[in-house]
Amino acid sequence: MNNEYAIKTTGLSYRYAKGADTLSGVNLEVERGSIYGFLGPNGSGKTTTLSLLLGLLTNQQGDIEIFGQRLHTNRISILKRVGSLIESPSLYGHLTARENLEVYRRDYGASKARIDEVLETVGLAGTGQKVAKRFSLGMKQRLAIALALLSNPELLILDEPSNGLDPAGIIELRELIKRLNKTYGMTILISSHLLGEVEKMVSHVGIIFNGKLLFQGPLSSLHSFQQKGSRLFIKTSDNEIACRLLQERRPEVVNDSISVAFKAMSEVAAINKTLTAHNLDVYLLQPKESDLEQLFIDLTSTQS
Amino acid sequence: MSLLISLRSEALKTKRTAAFYFTLIGAAIVPLIYLLNVFTDGLSDTKKDPLNAILRLNGEMNGFAFFPLFVVLVCTLLPQIEHRNNTWKQVLTAPRSKATVFVAKLLNVQLLLLLFLVANHVFIFLAIVIAHFADPSVGLLHQPLNGTVVLTRAANTYITISALCAAQFWMGLRFRNFIVPTAIGLAFWLTGTLMVLEYHSRAAEYFPYSFQLFGIMPNLRPQLVQVVWTSLAYGAVFLLLGYWDFSRRRMHQ
Repeated sequence: MNNEYAIKTTGLSYRYAKGADTLSGVNLEVERGSIYGFLGPNGSGKTTTLSLLLGLLTNQQGDIEIFGQRLHTNRISILKRVGSLIESPSLYGHLTARENLEVYRRDYGASKARIDEVLETVGLAGTGQKVAKRFSLGMKQRLAIALALLSNPELLILDEPSNGLDPAGIIELRELIKRLNKTYGMTILISSHLLGEVEKMVSHVGIIFNGKLLFQGPLSSLHSFQQKGSRLFIKTSDNEIACRLLQERRPEVVNDSISVAFKAMSEVAAINKTLTAHNLDVYLLQPKESDLEQLFIDLTSTQS
Repeated sequence: MSLLISLRSEALKTKRTAAFYFTLIGAAIVPLIYLLNVFTDGLSDTKKDPLNAILRLNGEMNGFAFFPLFVVLVCTLLPQIEHRNNTWKQVLTAPRSKATVFVAKLLNVQLLLLLFLVANHVFIFLAIVIAHFADPSVGLLHQPLNGTVVLTRAANTYITISALCAAQFWMGLRFRNFIVPTAIGLAFWLTGTLMVLEYHSRAAEYFPYSFQLFGIMPNLRPQLVQVVWTSLAYGAVFLLLGYWDFSRRRMHQ
């Protein structure tokens, strides 16, 4: 039993019929109370993982524990505590927002007042008799989130929830997710193929590529990882001498410049002093901090 | 309890759908044809036991064509609600077992079938009342009514359709495309009808899409009891196969 984790998978592997492994030995660990950004390019295995977590796909290999209980043997009791939105919104176009929620209300033992609450939360309280097929994509997405919130879940699983939302909608969604986490202590697992989209709200990150989990940990760990990747690009009147002077920093020659790793800007100044002290003309001194987006691309592209 | 909750959800999903209106419209067709006939040709053809003759004709027309066609279409329309709205994944991540989902959907179909039969009888009695006032000389409302025959005929119509209904229900769940199960259903219904009416085939006793004719064709009445049991047995087998298929398929993709 792992009660510190809302979700824990062990060696999760999955293969669609006659295909290659879609998932391979995924060990996902989502801490209770965290906002976990599950990142990866399209086709990397995010939706397959989430579908397995919700029992939409039958687990082939490995184990899934949610709230410390095995999903395989406790599916229904677990699903009562989980809200989800997988890919596009799942709504009945001929029903109103309220009726869409009413379809599932009793399954979760929710009161009628809860419908008003969740509609208020997502800003759809005033839609009246308008049926869902007449909603904009943003409204549909919000209604799907209201549906996920109906059970007042302890765990919310959102698969690419900002798909099709305009920038204002994305900001609104981000605020809502942060509020749900802060106010209700809800654990939220949110998948995306855009790091920049989720890094402003997540506390933990998992990066998946080609069905393998490449990185997992707190966002701060990812930031440390990022700082290690910052490099200084230098061009001087004699790059060979510069290389010798900076030998301790293991310089790399890149075209007509050299690059060295650095951690703080003070090191940039020190390098400049060293070079000029040896009568070298410095033409270029360009610190390039690897941003998370670049790191994400680096992590996933080095594996391909 | 969870089955009742799921059945209630299924019933709510049919609100404002074609399936609900289609049931009422389908049930009203024969009574409307009858009324049209009354207003164009009068009641002269039904002088002998006219009330029971009208009800027999209503039962035969429904049993022969309108009810089986309605079953083919409604068994396709109801699962289409999930396919068309892309809602299978939400249904299957709700805290319900797959068995509950399957049975609730089947019961919802059965409710619409029963609604069709009840509504049809209500409409035909309304049509009879209107016909009586249109031509009081026949005295339709003063004729003896053989209620047992009416009920038995309706029950036979409902039970003999079990096999066809189960097969169509399975196909409706299985195919995302509306056309495939509808086309198969219509083609088999025509085949079953021709087997009985044109070829007088003995194989009709074993072909589910012929069974509904055994309740209305006088020359087939002796085999009716056997066909009723065959229909129920086929229905059970199709439902078991349908559930097995439903439980292992990825419905949401």
